Amino acid sequence: MLANYLIGLREGLEAALVVSILVAYLVKTKRRGLLPRIWFGVAIAVLVSLGFGFALFYGPRGLTFEAQETIGGTLSIVAVVFVTWMIFWMARAARSLSGELRGQIDDAAEGPWWGLVLVAIFAVGREGLETALFLWSATEAVSRDTDSTWQPLVGAALGIVTAVVLAYLLYRGAISINLSTFFTWTGGFLILVAGGVLSYGVHDLQEAGVLPGLHRLAWDVSDTIDPTTWYATLLKGIFNFSPATTVLEATVWVLYVVPVMFLFVRGARRRTSPPAPAPVHS
Amino acid sequence: MRKPLLVAALLVTTPFFAACTENAKDDGGKSADGRSVSVTSTDDECKVSTAKVPAGTVTFNVTNDGSQVTEFYLLGDDGLRIVAEVENVGPQLSRQLVVNAPAGTYFTACKPGMKGDGIRADFTVTKSGDEPTVSADDQQLVDTALANYSAYVQDQSDQLVAKTQEFVKLYKAGDDDAARTLYPEARTHWERIETVAESFGDLDPKTDAREADLEPGEKWTGWHRIEKDLWPELAKNYTPLTPQQRATYADDLMKNITTLDTRVQGLDYTVDQIANGSRGLLEEVASGKVTGEEEYWSHTDLWDFQANVDGARVGFEGLKPIVEQTNPALAKTLTTRFADLQKLLDAQKTATGFTFYDDLTPDEVQDLANAVNALSEPLSQLTAAVLS
Repeated sequence: MLANYLIGLREGLEAALVVSILVAYLVKTKRRGLLPRIWFGVAIAVLVSLGFGFALFYGPRGLTFEAQETIGGTLSIVAVVFVTWMIFWMARAARSLSGELRGQIDDAAEGPWWGLVLVAIFAVGREGLETALFLWSATEAVSRDTDSTWQPLVGAALGIVTAVVLAYLLYRGAISINLSTFFTWTGGFLILVAGGVLSYGVHDLQEAGVLPGLHRLAWDVSDTIDPTTWYATLLKGIFNFSPATTVLEATVWVLYVVPVMFLFVRGARRRTSPPAPAPVHS
Repeated sequence: MRKPLLVAALLVTTPFFAACTENAKDDGGKSADGRSVSVTSTDDECKVSTAKVPAGTVTFNVTNDGSQVTEFYLLGDDGLRIVAEVENVGPQLSRQLVVNAPAGTYFTACKPGMKGDGIRADFTVTKSGDEPTVSADDQQLVDTALANYSAYVQDQSDQLVAKTQEFVKLYKAGDDDAARTLYPEARTHWERIETVAESFGDLDPKTDAREADLEPGEKWTGWHRIEKDLWPELAKNYTPLTPQQRATYADDLMKNITTLDTRVQGLDYTVDQIANGSRGLLEEVASGKVTGEEEYWSHTDLWDFQANVDGARVGFEGLKPIVEQTNPALAKTLTTRFADLQKLLDAQKTATGFTFYDDLTPDEVQDLANAVNALSEPLSQLTAAVLS
């Protein structure tokens, strides 16, 4: 039960984090009108995942391992692209939101309407297929033998519920801080999340044999951080931290996080620093 | 800003949908009769219903009867390459894993608790009419490629025996200058077929282990032991081997090389083994030769480098007619990249062989490394191309 709970928690967190921050952002900037787009994207991702999962689990044909890994890995990398776009989109919008302009932004100026839908789809859909397969197999376990095997499904469901609660708490916390603090912290946090997603995607592609170096480990702390514990689950769910990380994963993580964080922090400084004095002719 | 975003969205969503359709085609509605394997994973056991299935679409039904989350892997014959896996199998749950497995030897592994090497067992896929390899039209291309590759390996092995014989004779006689000249030449034949030679797990450490890679307490023998004795300049407080010790190491090397040669005669290959071997040889270059680690004492790394590349290219060229049908763009890329790498190697050729590794400039090493990487990437797609 606990093991299944932790799986639900991990997969749920991976899906819910980005969405909760995006929602907090829209609420803070008084653009609740855009929220349906997010929920629309989430709904599409959930339905598609469940539908696919159902078809693959009960249908006559399964998905080969290679295809599953390739889809997972590609979606992860796509998700990184969108989350990165979102971080800078939020930051750019924040600049124009300074002072009295707040809340008067024309929706049309916010980029195409499906931008937010896509972010939500990828944030949730990335782990969706895997989770859906898990849930269907849990459902089958329940119907196969009704006396005691209700635990897996309940465990996984409780895990997902916990993830949603955690994401909601994060949302509440984010709502209560002021706007510029919000950008700095959530933006920086999302960059770390996206870095984790990227290296996870790379790992999937390494497992599928598309990328080399699966057995060149940068470190292996799985004896210290047991992957079955709750804190390993949280680390994995939030930052996609893997106790056994390959050199390529670590490299990609650094290559992504360092420059993006640099650009982001530079942008954040500019936002918060007082206007520069007018240049003086020398 | 709309346009770039639109382009980005199209770029990133296209592969996703491509991956979907590809898969649907892959499965092709093949039935899994006789190729259904049930796996039961508990906290300390991994029960696999059968250890042998005919080649084709194999379905593993993995059930977790333990208390921890488990994973199930199908590993290649090296125990490292992941052929297929299913992760996140919670307690009391079953998951299905569908694999297109060609004939060969494999390992199955359950990994309760998701760490360590897992509980492993041998697994064999036997030849059958449903091999996911090639169509009948291509069978002739395949047969030719296999026959040629087998002949190449045997030929290299013969030359290895002859050159090693000569080398140990000179070394035992104390004719060090001549032995030093012959050392990289004899090893060339070893390096050309290194992935085949390495497949004999008992011979490889005895023959080709480097001092730095020894486990504590392991006895160091083979090529590199003799190498150090012939080029002791870099070693601290080195005591040269006595003529008697020399004879011991030399005879041991010769014995192992002869054993290798005997075993190589009986080997059969498959197209994916050749393709993987070709990729493996390039990986050898990247991990040992381009770094100058392999020939630490003699600095004759470029001889080995060239030999690995030779072996990889022969493997690829044998398969080229097949690749040209399944993925002509890949065949073209590989041909160009092999030529680019060879051009860099040619630039280091001297009257007696190659520039010594320690005489290369950092820029030259970097250029070589770049060319190796540029080749590795498309080469890693070779197996998929010959099996499609």
